Amino acid sequence: MLTNAQPYMLPGVENDMAVAAAATLDYDAELMLRVKEGDDVTFGVLLEKHRVPVIHFVFRLVQEQAIAEELSQEVFLRVYRSRSSYEPTAKFKTWLFRIATHLALNWLRDEKHERGQERLDDVSMDLPALQICDRRPSVEQEMVSEVKLDQVRRAVAGLPEKQRAAVLMHKYEEMEYTQIARVLGCSESAVKSLLFRAYETLRARLAHMGTS
Amino acid sequence: MICPIQIRKPEMLLAYAAGDLDPESARLLEAHLAGCSACREIAKDQATVWKALDGWEAPPVSPDFNRRLYGRIDQGLQLSWWERLTRPFRPMPLRQALPLTATAGLLLMAGLLLQHTRPLAPAAPSGEIVRADQVERTLDDLDLLHQFNGTAATAESAQPDAM
Repeated sequence: MLTNAQPYMLPGVENDMAVAAAATLDYDAELMLRVKEGDDVTFGVLLEKHRVPVIHFVFRLVQEQAIAEELSQEVFLRVYRSRSSYEPTAKFKTWLFRIATHLALNWLRDEKHERGQERLDDVSMDLPALQICDRRPSVEQEMVSEVKLDQVRRAVAGLPEKQRAAVLMHKYEEMEYTQIARVLGCSESAVKSLLFRAYETLRARLAHMGTS
Repeated sequence: MICPIQIRKPEMLLAYAAGDLDPESARLLEAHLAGCSACREIAKDQATVWKALDGWEAPPVSPDFNRRLYGRIDQGLQLSWWERLTRPFRPMPLRQALPLTATAGLLLMAGLLLQHTRPLAPAAPSGEIVRADQVERTLDDLDLLHQFNGTAATAESAQPDAM
């Protein structure tokens, strides 16, 4: 098992330089360089560390668990297959989420095309009135929270794709604006604008939850 | 009218609602919020959005996720004919490639040196290529020669009698 106390040094000046460059970025990039050198055990370490965040991120983007897992498998498969050409030019997480976002947004576009935009664009905020027949508070609470959750899911799904990805990385992955910008391939100011517009839409759709 | 904070520092309101603003900036913003109802409203609604998003939990990951992934990796390694075909030509890690290249270079040099230092062996007789029609023609020629010799011998034996 790798620890920070045991820095990995490769023979040769080139590799030393690559490791030094990776170390300035992050430790995961350094681990990925070990995978590049043929260390498959380290790939397992990276998989364990990033598996859940990637799957959850993709799940919130596509909102289907089976699809999210399938796409996440493809993400890690691509990481493994491109190990020989890996260069630590960015943080490992940025690179990983760039692959994940690319795959998920592609899937959403294909899906949207196939379904004639029926599912994501036809998001109606007019949910049917909640009929509560059972007076037990636990069931009532459960139903209310289920309705609220559904509203959150629909509000997020109703956002344009890039805004959605930006919100999910900002809110759940706590990624910085610069990192999100690199994942989405745009400027930092564009990310700020994307996020502010996205949260503006979400405020309009979800603000009523604060009063209920 | 839109408050300048919403134009110049919208991320400040987002960070405040998320509780991520440093204490000094938070204190300054709160002083502003006390007098700006528009920003106060945004901060309140943003906090509601934040809380609503907090409640959205993703389902747990399937326990066989890793097994399926490694299966796909192995399958790719075993079944992809293209990978099998191109694997020897793929760029090799430097630490593996260097010793291999050095060994190959040494063997090549040793071979060249041995070839130059070895005494010249006597030239092997060069083999002739014998064609079937050539053999046939030679046999025919031999037959003709025999016939000619036979005729010549008969004529020779008949000649003394004539003399």
